[in-house]
Amino acid sequence: MKITKQGVFFGMLILFALVALKVLWPTAKAEKIVPPTARVMPIDSTVCIAPTEYMRSHHMQILNEWRNTGARDNRPYVTADGKKFQKSLDTCLGCHSNNTYFCISCHQYANAKPTCWNCHLSPLDKP
Amino acid sequence: MNEERREFIKKTSLGFLVGIGAGSGLFLNFLMEKTDASLWSDKSTAGTIRWGMLIDMRKCIDGCQKCVDACRLVHNVPDFGDTRYQIEWLKKSPYREVFPTSGEDFMSKERTGKSVPSLCNHCAEPPCAAVCPTQATFKRFDGIVALDAHRCTGCRACMASCPYNAISFNWKEPRPAIKALNDLYPTREKGVVEKCNFCSERLLKGKLPACVEACPETTLTFGDLNDPKSAIRLLLEKNQTMQRKPELGTLPSVFYII
Repeated sequence: MKITKQGVFFGMLILFALVALKVLWPTAKAEKIVPPTARVMPIDSTVCIAPTEYMRSHHMQILNEWRNTGARDNRPYVTADGKKFQKSLDTCLGCHSNNTYFCISCHQYANAKPTCWNCHLSPLDKP
Repeated sequence: MNEERREFIKKTSLGFLVGIGAGSGLFLNFLMEKTDASLWSDKSTAGTIRWGMLIDMRKCIDGCQKCVDACRLVHNVPDFGDTRYQIEWLKKSPYREVFPTSGEDFMSKERTGKSVPSLCNHCAEPPCAAVCPTQATFKRFDGIVALDAHRCTGCRACMASCPYNAISFNWKEPRPAIKALNDLYPTREKGVVEKCNFCSERLLKGKLPACVEACPETTLTFGDLNDPKSAIRLLLEKNQTMQRKPELGTLPSVFYII
C-alpha cells in the first residue's frame, strides 16, 4: 500500500471539512423557559371562590392545596367561572374577617383544631 | 513483504485512532445523553427577573434604624432583646462583621466606621436552598430565595450553610415578643427558621420592599438585575461595588458601595 502526499492532504482536507461542518452546523436550541413575572393579583373581592355549600364541605381541601402550592407556584388560583385569586389565606380573610368568629365558631363546634392560627393571625388575634 | 505488512498495520491503526478521535467529536449527540442547557439558566439569564439590591453606604446615615424598624414592623419580626434568641431579617452591623474577608487596612474611618445594613443576599447559588432537606428554602422564579414556613422542620441546616448569618431560628414562641402586630403578614411559630424574603408579598402588589420605602435617603436601590436599563444596573455600571464574601461563589444579589 502506497501512501502519497496528495492522498494524505486529501484525507486531511476531508477531515477538516467534516470537523468544520460539525462545528458550524446550526444546532437546534432547546426551547427557552421564560418564567412568568410577578403581577398584581386581585385580592379584594366581593365574591367567594366557590358556592357556599361547596366551601362549607371542601374549604379544608382547597386551603391545603393552597398551602402546599402557594409559595412555589406563583400562578393564581382559577375558579370554575374563570376568576383569579392569589393563593393566600389573606384572600379568604379579606371578606371573612368581617365576622370575628367566622372560623372559630364552627371549628369549636366540630372540635376541629387547624394549625393555621399558630402563625397566621386569626380575626380574633387582630388588634 | 514483511516490511510492507508492518507499515500497513502501523498506518491503519493510526487511521483507526484518528477516526475514533474525529468520530467522538463529530457524533457527540449519538454517544452522549442529551442535556437541556436551559436547566442551568438559574443565574443571570436575559428575559427572566433577578431581584437585587444596591446599598450605597455614602448616603447611609449612621445611627438611623428606619429600614430595620420598618422591616420588623412589616414582617412581624419578634424582638426578644436577648442576643441568644434574637431574630434578624435586616440588621445594621459593623463593617468588619459584614465584610470579614475584605480587609480594612488603611481605609478611612469614614468608610469603615459606619454600621452597614446586612440582609439575606438572595444568592444566585444559594447554599441554604441546596442543603434544605425538605426544600422549604428554595430559589424562586424571580431570584428570591424564599422560605416556605409550612415545610420547615427546624433542622437549621440552612443556618449552618449560610455564610452571611442571614437566617434566624425561633427558639421561643415569637408572638409575645412582637411589639406591634401587623395583621397583613403572618408571624412564625416556635421551631422554624426565618429570614428576609425581599418583601415578595409587597412585590406581588407592585410595591417596593419596606426597607427601601422607609429609607430617608436614597441609600437602598431595588431592581431587576437582569434588566440592563434598570436603576440598579445603571448604578452598578457607574460605581465600584462589592458583594459580601464573593470568593465563596454564592453570587449574592445584594451589592454595596462603600
